[in-house]
Order: sequence, then C-alpha cells, then structure tokens
Amino acid sequence: MFDIHGRWSRLGLQLLATLMILPFLAPLVFGLQGSLGGLGLGNYAKVWNTGIVPTVFMNSAIISVCTIAIVYACTMLAAFGFSKLRIMGREVWFWAILAALTVPEAVILTPLFVVASNFDLYDELIAVILPLAALQVPFTILIARNFFDGVPNEIMEAARVDGANGLQVFWSIVLPLTRPITAAIIVFTLISSWNSYLLPMLMLTEQSKQVVTLLPSFFTSQYTNDQTGVLAAAVITAVPEVLVYLLFQKSFERGLSAGALK
Amino acid sequence: MSTAPAHETLGRPVNATGRPRGRSSPLGSRLSGLPWILPAIVLVIGLIYFPIGYLGYASTLNWNGFILSTPTSIGDANYAKMFGDPVFWNALWHTVFFYVITFSVQTFIGFTFAAVMHSRIRLGNLYKAIVFVPVVLAPATMAPVFRQIFDQFGQFNWLLSSIGLGSLTRPWLADPTTAMPVIMFITVWEWTGLTFVLYYAAMSQLSPEILEAARVDGAGNFRTLRSIVWPMCRGTTAALAVLGLIGALKTFDIPYLVTHGGPNHGTEFLGTYIYYTMAQGKHFGYAATLAIALLVLAVAGGVLLRISTSRSDKE
Repeated sequence: MFDIHGRWSRLGLQLLATLMILPFLAPLVFGLQGSLGGLGLGNYAKVWNTGIVPTVFMNSAIISVCTIAIVYACTMLAAFGFSKLRIMGREVWFWAILAALTVPEAVILTPLFVVASNFDLYDELIAVILPLAALQVPFTILIARNFFDGVPNEIMEAARVDGANGLQVFWSIVLPLTRPITAAIIVFTLISSWNSYLLPMLMLTEQSKQVVTLLPSFFTSQYTNDQTGVLAAAVITAVPEVLVYLLFQKSFERGLSAGALK
Repeated sequence: MSTAPAHETLGRPVNATGRPRGRSSPLGSRLSGLPWILPAIVLVIGLIYFPIGYLGYASTLNWNGFILSTPTSIGDANYAKMFGDPVFWNALWHTVFFYVITFSVQTFIGFTFAAVMHSRIRLGNLYKAIVFVPVVLAPATMAPVFRQIFDQFGQFNWLLSSIGLGSLTRPWLADPTTAMPVIMFITVWEWTGLTFVLYYAAMSQLSPEILEAARVDGAGNFRTLRSIVWPMCRGTTAALAVLGLIGALKTFDIPYLVTHGGPNHGTEFLGTYIYYTMAQGKHFGYAATLAIALLVLAVAGGVLLRISTSRSDKE
C-alpha cells in the first residue's frame, strides 16, 4: 500500500509495524512469564495434578465438535433452501432468522436456565451445545446464503435436466463448491464454542462436566486465588488454540474474509 | 471486483429465463424448500424465540426462579423499576461509550496495520500472526493475565516507572475512571486482529491500476490511503460496524472476569447486570425485564445500522 523509496523510509515503516505489534505481543509474554513465577514449571505440574485437565479438554472438544456439526448441517440446508428453492414466505423466514443475530447470550440466559432445570438438562453438555448452535446459526446462514446466491443456477439446472433430484444436486454438485464457506463456518463456530464461558459457567457446575474456559477460575476458588496456578492454567488452555491457529493460519484468514466479504 | 455485476443479477430473484424466481425456482416448482430450512427454523424458534416469549411473560412477575416458589404477577412494576434504576442507565451509557471508542480505535489500528502489512515489511507473517492470535484466545483465558498486568504491582505499573512515569502508577482496576479504559483496551487487544484481517483481504482486492493512477496524479501515501483506499473499503467498515455493535451489546466475559462489573458498577454492562440480577440477586422477573430492554436495543441498533449502511452503499 505504501510506496516506499529509500532505506530510511523503509526502516521507518518497519519500526512503525514493530511498535504496533508490541502491545499485542506484551500480554502474551507477561502471561507466560507470570505462569513461571514461584514454582516455575512446578505451576504446570500443579495444574496437571488437579486431574481435571484431560476432562475439561475432552468436554470442550465434544461441545465444539457437536456445535460445529449442528451449525454446519442446519446452515448448509437452510442457505441452499433460501437461495435456490421455492418457499412460501421465504423472506419472512429469512428475516426471522436474521433478527436472531442481534440477540445477546445474556438475553436468553434466564429462560434457558429455567427450562434446563425443569427438563433435567442441567449439567448436561447438550444444555450448552444447543444454545450455542442456535446463537451461531443466524450469522452462518447469512454468510452462506450470500455465498449460494453467487453459485450460478445454470449448473444445477443442467443436473436437473439429467434427472437428478434436489438432494442429489445438493450433495454432488453444490456441496463440493462450498469449501471456502465451510472453512468460514467451522472457524467462526469453533472460536465461539471453544471460547464460550457464560453458558458453561451457568449450565455446567459439576466438575466432571466443566470446560477449558473454566479451568483458570478453578484455581481462584480451590486454592484461594493462586495467581501462578491461574496463569499456568490459562497458558495450558491457550497453547492448543494458538497451535491450531498456526497450523490452519491460511484457512482461518481465508475463511474469515470469505465470510465477511461477498 | 470485476465479478460484481454477475453477482448482482444472481443475487436477485430472477432465473435464467428472466422470470421471478419465486414462481419458478431453478430446481423446478415441484420441490418445496420448506423441509430444507426446517432444522434451522426449529433451532432458532425453540432456543431463541421461545425464550424471548417466555421473558416477556416473566418480566411481569415477581419471581425468584425456583420452580416450587409461586411467582406473583406485578404488571409493569419491573419496567417502572428499570427506568428508575441508575445502574441500568449506567450500563447503557457504558455500552454506548464502549462501542464508540473500541470501534474507532480498532478500525484505526486495523486499517493502518493492514496498509502497513501490504507494503514491503520483513517478518510480515510473524507480525500478522501476533496480531491475530488474540482473536482465537478465549477472553476467559486471558482475563487472569490482564488482571495481573493492571494490578497495583503488575507489569503495566512497572513499565510506567521504568520509563520515568512513576507518578502515574496506580491500581488501575480499583478506580472506575481507569477500570473502564482497561476493559476497552482488552477488547481492542482481543478483536483488532479480526479488523486487520478483513481490511487486509479487502485491500488485496483493490486493483493496482487505481493506486497507480493516483500516484501518477501526484497523490502521496497518506492522500492515497485517505481518498482512495479508505472509501473503497467502505463495505468492510460497514460490516465491522454491525459486528462491533452486536459485540458491544453482548459484552460479558471481559468485565465479568476482570472487574466483576465494578468497582461500584463502574464497568457494569447490561449482560453482566442481567447475570448478577439472576444468579446472585435471584430476581428472575427483573432480570427478564432487563433482558427485554437489551433485546429491544439490539434489534433497534441492528435495524438502524442496516439502514445507514445500505444508504451509504447507494451513495
């Protein structure tokens, strides 16, 4: 973007970029540093010895995978329907779903809590999975419909002429075209479900049902604010996220921009 | 950019023969689309609209939320209470203030950084990763780290003293006037990576010829950025404005975990206030009333932004 001539201005720009990233880097470094205070690596051993680390990772993984599966299935079917099929009152349904995009988690908390306790779903992972999926679906349908609107109808009409039915067209022609938007759906849903805090905190109180975001607070209650333990727990939960991001860096960025830009 | 006209025709309800798609869908009129959208409709109605309807009912009750206790209907008393509740108005004002500041700062940093990263920069990939990593980290994971950084004996004060600004050191989270900026700083830290990635992608789509033409006409770097690049990224800015507003109304994790909405409700948001009212105060009826207010604001905000951005699209 910047048209740079000469060594000094190039150096200046490099300096500007470096100065800009420092505030982003510093909290990561401070967190890592703090987690090694006192007992050093012993803090990590302390977190591990609580015995709940594998449990919380497993629960978070189950929640994320199930949420992604539900969101993906609902989104793909609905976006295809909205974009390519005949539906009575199509735009009314579409806007009804879209309006839900603005609903904050905190709004539906009270009724969900009451319903979950009435139906004995309290302390079940499904009590977190379903609301997470419902909150995510409006956004993913919006971006997926935009994407399907860009898929030419002619492709599907040709298949229709060849005698394929709706499902076959969807399965063998449409789905293979949707890789960019699939990446977007998975990335957005993964971030929101793996990082979710409020719903699990409210719905999952039993220790065997807790998730990664609750791991640091485990140390504030259990060991009366053990700061190094809290930070070590935070780092342990952060490392897999950073690794997954670094491994799939390109798909993350492509997915996010495919979602937001038509 | 060059595919935009094609998208436009496809986006309209017109099929290959030019007839409205409502009559004859590309897959023929025999196939009804209703079953396709049904799972999503059931999910959204069951878990979002049903709870909202329930809230409308619960907001007229004096109820502590326990199944065995009998709620008493109190009409609109909860609403009257809300309009006279200074904490509610504070939370509202915080949300507006928070949205305006965080959105502006994120846009400025994200846009500038995207422009810088599109120039020839060494270690570009490393820099991009560092700015984006906060987006994937859970606020709940980072909250303890920030609590420590802005503590009386934290790294921020240490940094201040080591550059000779020792007189500014203070317990940042203990005072409402400094706790709010800290909450905003954490939010900016968390979400600027997304702003950056979207602007970066938008800038990749600009045709080099336009930039070239501006340069030939004698426009400098800042002039080009302001008069050419920025207006052409308007769609991205609009999308981010909507995402940011929704995000601001949903704010919960960071104030809850870093300051508990305090000190003295100084960083209270509607989300945290609803949670405390329900989980600690056990005033389910009043929590429902606050939730209805939040919902009205969210829908109104969404509609307003939608109108203003579609207007600026037409300009």
